[in-house]
Amino acid sequence: MIDVVNVWKSYKSGTRPVEALRGISCHIERGRFAFIVGPSGSGKSTLLYMLGAVDRPTKGEILVEGEDLVKMSESAQNDYRREKVGFIFQSFNLISNLSAIDNVLIPFLPRGVTAEQRERAVTLLTQVGLGDRLDHRPYQLSGGEQQRVAIARALVKQPVLVLADEPTGELDSKTGDEIYKILRTMQQAYQATLVVVTHDRRFITPRDLVLEIQDGHLIAGPTDALAPHCPSHPQAEPNPSAVKAGE
Amino acid sequence: MGKFAWRNLLTRPMRTALALIGLSIPILGVLGLFSLSNGLRDMVGDTLSQIEGVMVIRENVPSPVFSTLPAELADKIRAIPGVRAAAPEVWGIAPNVEGQGMLMRSVGGLMTKKGPSSLLDQTVISGQDIAAHANLKSAVFPRALEAKGEGRFLNEGDKGQPNIVISRKIARDFPNADGSPRTVGDTLRIADADYTIVGLYETGSMLLDVVILMDIDEARKALKMPKELVSAIYVEANSPPGYEAVSAAIEANEPGVDARNMNEVQADFGTLMGQVDKLLMMTVSLALIVGIVGIVNTMLMSTTERFVEFGVLRTIGWSQANILGLVTLESAYLGLLSGLVGCALAWLGTAAANQFIGGGMRLGLSPQSLIVGVGLSIVMGILGGLYPAWRAARMVPMEAIRLGSH
Repeated sequence: MIDVVNVWKSYKSGTRPVEALRGISCHIERGRFAFIVGPSGSGKSTLLYMLGAVDRPTKGEILVEGEDLVKMSESAQNDYRREKVGFIFQSFNLISNLSAIDNVLIPFLPRGVTAEQRERAVTLLTQVGLGDRLDHRPYQLSGGEQQRVAIARALVKQPVLVLADEPTGELDSKTGDEIYKILRTMQQAYQATLVVVTHDRRFITPRDLVLEIQDGHLIAGPTDALAPHCPSHPQAEPNPSAVKAGE
Repeated sequence: MGKFAWRNLLTRPMRTALALIGLSIPILGVLGLFSLSNGLRDMVGDTLSQIEGVMVIRENVPSPVFSTLPAELADKIRAIPGVRAAAPEVWGIAPNVEGQGMLMRSVGGLMTKKGPSSLLDQTVISGQDIAAHANLKSAVFPRALEAKGEGRFLNEGDKGQPNIVISRKIARDFPNADGSPRTVGDTLRIADADYTIVGLYETGSMLLDVVILMDIDEARKALKMPKELVSAIYVEANSPPGYEAVSAAIEANEPGVDARNMNEVQADFGTLMGQVDKLLMMTVSLALIVGIVGIVNTMLMSTTERFVEFGVLRTIGWSQANILGLVTLESAYLGLLSGLVGCALAWLGTAAANQFIGGGMRLGLSPQSLIVGVGLSIVMGILGGLYPAWRAARMVPMEAIRLGSH
């Protein structure tokens, strides 16, 4: 479902060139719960946002459901983000002057909110345990509750892909557990592919796909995470800098 | 989207209120200036519509008050074909009325709210050649006295007598010792002499209701003007040839004089008001620029603070056009609110000002000018919001998200 093929990303930090990603290739099947792990600055968030068409690689291909995000126009990328991807951020990033329900509905605001979309938002908020807090503003909610609103906002457009960047990074461990429980339940219910960037490996289960990145290289992942044409795939030409299969 | 934009403004009430005050003041200024301009047009238009004849004065002087002509000119003008009547007049600013000099009348009026209330609101003396004026058909003051006044107008019996006709306004401005307005039979002290009031008139015009009318020789005495001079000659024309032809004939026959018919005066006034309007437009433009800069400043602060919000919105599928629309809508709302507040203040201001000014001058705001005020304000809002909106729309979402996430 997702194919990342030899993706490179470089940019300048001041005058210093930075190679954020160095030839990453991988494959993530539809409906998988995938983790991208690695130390700070390894390039994991960069890869995540590229999957969401928020950033473009310097080189390489990113195919989601057969569509190449790199070749998409700006407008097509907008459509992709609006219709196919849900984002969950570490800092929740809710709009402070909108209620929980309005925050969930915000992706639809420019085109007008339909009754069906509103109903879906209510259902989602109820499913994440906030059915009685639809009209609460973010400042009236705890961190965990705000992240639940963010989960509902990500799922309200029925995306094929949900991307979460350190979703429990600002929560205590108990609340973090609850959030992962909700994420897993919702992912199964909505059959979306979920890709999570995290430092915290305790939420990873044996069934999950794990991609480990270090210094811009994919250094570890189950072989099924690597596309056959990926240089780091066992059947491909050996690439000593990238291959370390099996977690 | 509209509701969201509205909430964004309300989220920062203090800033919105300050911006609103700052932006409504240019609109208040614009509407105030336009109402003043319209008030002046209406007042002068009403005044001129009461006068039909040609006023002959010395060339290059603004009004009869500053003009001197030889007294025998009246006979020469009467000899010009088409002239029906020519009435000599002496004009001058009243030197001292009831012990108040020109400056004291103005300053005292402003301080006490009694008497003339501005330098423009000066009491003037008009001495009339009573016999010649009796032949006029279009004289303003006798008609005004007949319509709304009391007593009688000057007649042959007033020649050489210290009798005067004054306006009701002057009667109020220089009241009796008990505070009651002067009336027929009372006296009014001008310079060093007492004059008996024989009639009161009321034209309703601030420009005309400042005139004390008396016999021409009495006026010469009061104004210390030699007998061989007059200030102006009021001329009535036969029809045909009409006022314009007579006016041209007088100017052709008598070099150095200006024969102004009222159409000409109206045209001159129209030209003057055209210049005033240009000045107004320049002032309005400056006010608008100030307003736009205010909106740019407010919206730039607002968008800079919301860097993360715009990044998040872009990430969840909002296009650059959506962000542009949101910020522009917010600034347009700010413009709309400012326009409404500015219009309300202007309306209250003109209503209050009308309580204090009189003499046919009314400041007024037509529904059209209020609509123009609100419209200008909205345009100002949209123009002022464009740059901050463009800046917000082209923010890189990745940068914004990183700011929000770490």
